[in-house]
Amino acid sequence: MKTTLFTLTMLLASFAGMSQKNEYYQAMGETLSQYATCRTVEDFQALGNRFSMIAGNEKEEWLPLYYHAHCFIIMSFMEPSDAVKKDAYLDEAEKSVNKLVSIAPEESDVFALQAMLYTGRLVVNPMERGQQYSILSGQAIGRALGIDPSNPRARLIKLQNDMGTARFYGKDTGEYCSEAKELLAGWDNFSPKSRLHPAWGKDQAAEIVSGCK
Amino acid sequence: MKIFFTSFLLIFSSVLSAQTIISGTVRAKNGGTLPGANVYLKGTYDGASTDADGRFSFRTQKTGQFTISVEFLGYESHSEPLTLNGKDIKLALELMETFSKLDAVTITAGTFEASDKKQANTISSLDMITTAGAAGDVFGALQTLPGTTTNGESGRLFVKGGDSDESQTYIDGALVHTPYNSTAPNTATRGRFNPFMFKGTIFSTGGYSAEYGQALSSVLLLNTNDMPVQDQFDLSLLTIGPEIAGTKLWKTGAVTATLGYSNLQPYMNLVPQNFEWKKAPESAAAAISIRQKTGKTGMLKIYSSFDNGRFTLGQFDLDQDTMVDYGLRNGNFFVNTSYRTTIGENLIFSTSASFTNDRDKVNFDGNHFDKSLKGFHLKQTASREITEKITLRGGVEWFSRSLEQTFHTPADTFVNSYDINTMAAFTEAELYASKNFVTRVGARLEHNDYLNRSSLAPRLTAAWKLDETSQFSIAYGWFFQNPSDDYLIYTDKLNYERADHYTFSYQSSRNERTLRAEIYYKDYRNLTKQGQGEFYLPETYNNSGSGFASGLDIFWRDKKSIRNGDYWISYSYLDTKRDYKDYPEEAIPGFASKHNLAVVYKHWFDKIRSYAGVNYKYSSPRVYNNPNSPEFNGEKTIAYHTLDVSWSFLFKPNIIFYGAVTNLPGFKQEFGRRYSETPDDSGIYRSTAIVPGSGRFYILACFITFTKKGTENQLDKIQ
Repeated sequence: MKTTLFTLTMLLASFAGMSQKNEYYQAMGETLSQYATCRTVEDFQALGNRFSMIAGNEKEEWLPLYYHAHCFIIMSFMEPSDAVKKDAYLDEAEKSVNKLVSIAPEESDVFALQAMLYTGRLVVNPMERGQQYSILSGQAIGRALGIDPSNPRARLIKLQNDMGTARFYGKDTGEYCSEAKELLAGWDNFSPKSRLHPAWGKDQAAEIVSGCK
Repeated sequence: MKIFFTSFLLIFSSVLSAQTIISGTVRAKNGGTLPGANVYLKGTYDGASTDADGRFSFRTQKTGQFTISVEFLGYESHSEPLTLNGKDIKLALELMETFSKLDAVTITAGTFEASDKKQANTISSLDMITTAGAAGDVFGALQTLPGTTTNGESGRLFVKGGDSDESQTYIDGALVHTPYNSTAPNTATRGRFNPFMFKGTIFSTGGYSAEYGQALSSVLLLNTNDMPVQDQFDLSLLTIGPEIAGTKLWKTGAVTATLGYSNLQPYMNLVPQNFEWKKAPESAAAAISIRQKTGKTGMLKIYSSFDNGRFTLGQFDLDQDTMVDYGLRNGNFFVNTSYRTTIGENLIFSTSASFTNDRDKVNFDGNHFDKSLKGFHLKQTASREITEKITLRGGVEWFSRSLEQTFHTPADTFVNSYDINTMAAFTEAELYASKNFVTRVGARLEHNDYLNRSSLAPRLTAAWKLDETSQFSIAYGWFFQNPSDDYLIYTDKLNYERADHYTFSYQSSRNERTLRAEIYYKDYRNLTKQGQGEFYLPETYNNSGSGFASGLDIFWRDKKSIRNGDYWISYSYLDTKRDYKDYPEEAIPGFASKHNLAVVYKHWFDKIRSYAGVNYKYSSPRVYNNPNSPEFNGEKTIAYHTLDVSWSFLFKPNIIFYGAVTNLPGFKQEFGRRYSETPDDSGIYRSTAIVPGSGRFYILACFITFTKKGTENQLDKIQ
């Protein structure tokens, strides 16, 4: 009886200690599952808000910040015309990206996301920002691929940037098809470190491939 | 045991089931509902975002004391304590808008700001480069803005009824003593600086801050680029000569070196000229630019250039009735440095210094005229944000200018010189009463050791934001400037010249369309007058001159209505008269035209990756003086028209082709007449028309950038 009680107390104590972490995993898992149902800027804002809240509780975790920034970058891409809003969303994303660069500089996905942020800045005003941000985005991708050459998201963003440039220069984007097909075929060979780690991008790779004849 | 365990589980599950529903609304203080706000219990994972009507609702199983937090972009976060005891809670939460200077009211009276940072700019750095007709000249591009008057025979800035020497140019806070290239009389000049050097430009046409003195009409503030982003080598091939530039980065700094050579001879062999060039303009220039980051926030910038130019022009001497040669050699050495650092949270120190050594050697019909100018400027400023709504700024400055003119005739040599030191101090406070109202109050004290005079100049500006898109600003101030070199070289018995500015400005910006209207009045006093005596005698000069300028400036820019198109229209109305120099009475000055119009259009053709620009400019006739007529400044020039086109073609990411033609239709341009010094035997002053160098000007260029390609190579450049 005594031993049982002792065991139970110990169990409860460790459960309480664990509970915060468990809550984190649970909240992250739940929130990540909502990505699939996001359709509008408002949906992504609500999702970004959740990640921001989680990031506030888990200061040493980089993943909530990563997804927070990701949501706001997507919002900027989704915003149809208001350049001021696009920049405001990116400002919000940039805060998290800057924190990410300092707390998780060993993560390839952090720099892939930074490249996406710079591409977002470029898209707001390609004429005035093209030169500067295409270089910055290229440098961030270079860093992401330098850390992990197999990171499919870094490769995807590089491919999207390259195709965007080719399209801008009126070139045929067909030459990127083989690369896109190879990326898509090998996508599942890359296994994220955990179920919470970034895994997105396969749909977009498939979309590029479907555009190929 | 079993009972114990069961009861424990029961207690535990009862805790679990103690569920509270928290719901309510989030609104902006004095505003509508806020959709998308983040509402959550601090330290938990329980929360929700507000819906389209600003409503939220979520469940929590927590009990006890908690804090509820609300966050929303552009608003101050709000938290309040909450006791959770199983009873549902309804909340009506309110958020205050964040005070941010970026979206707060800005002082726009008299100011055109260009930078790539803000979207709301009236004109951007790219505009400075792509404006047709400017052909890469900063000052040329500014002459498409309202408030300016184009003087085709000068090329300099004439702002709101002010003469060209009433405008000053600053680079990174330090004065540029010689912003323009040296030219022959009545031929247009260009700026010395490449517009690609600058990330931002502020062109203030009146009512500027107490930080800037020694300018009666306008200041142009050019801010150079920060760190370059990559190593590169640039090759520019222009019809007038090549330029090469190399940039190398290291961990905390970068250096760019530029070499250029230009010679108009080959061009002039192809295109007929109105002038008789004996030696076409030729110049060689070298520049170096260094960037060094120090500590966390410090940035040191050094720019140094040396250029050497020469030409010989045959001009008809109306008195001698023969062609005489006007030859000029110019050597210009310029250094500009600035250092800026932030101490603590919100104290910014900036130090700027510039040094110019400029030498003109003119040969004119066997006479030699040498002019040597040494200019120095040192400025130290400190700026402190007391609260986010109050900023104090102050600084001290030292300007030194020494000029020596030597005139050798075959018989004699005359030397005149002067040294002038101006010490100045200024202080200024910027106060935001709210996001919608700001005032800037300042004063500037100057002492000039050559004239032994002091001046105290108050400055005041205020701006009201009327609604989200429009605002109203006013600017008032006294502005002092030393009399020009032409007088100071002969006398130190003069006083400062003075202009008082009154500016009222309205600006409305919505959806990438901007309308600005400005009315102003300038009261000039103490302008220098040249009396009847000999020009070299001090008593010939006094400060009894005066004048006024008033006008209306309209600016309309629309980047929205035409897909891939962007245009602006500037119109200026100017009414001005002054009594200065050797004027016998108050008269309209020769540089002023009543109506100025500029229409600038740019179009991006994505299919052919080309940026095309076309602009049209008009200036109504200006006056000039005919000594044969009893009426002073009684003659009128023809109106000025020009239509310029430019084409930039992005061939590859690193290769750009550029072509431009100014005055494409070949409008006849004439800027008045030049008269002989003395009348001929029949008592008539002979004259000849002042015309531009050529009917049209063509330029072709190719810009090539070489970089290390490939992402791997980029890695080592990131700090």
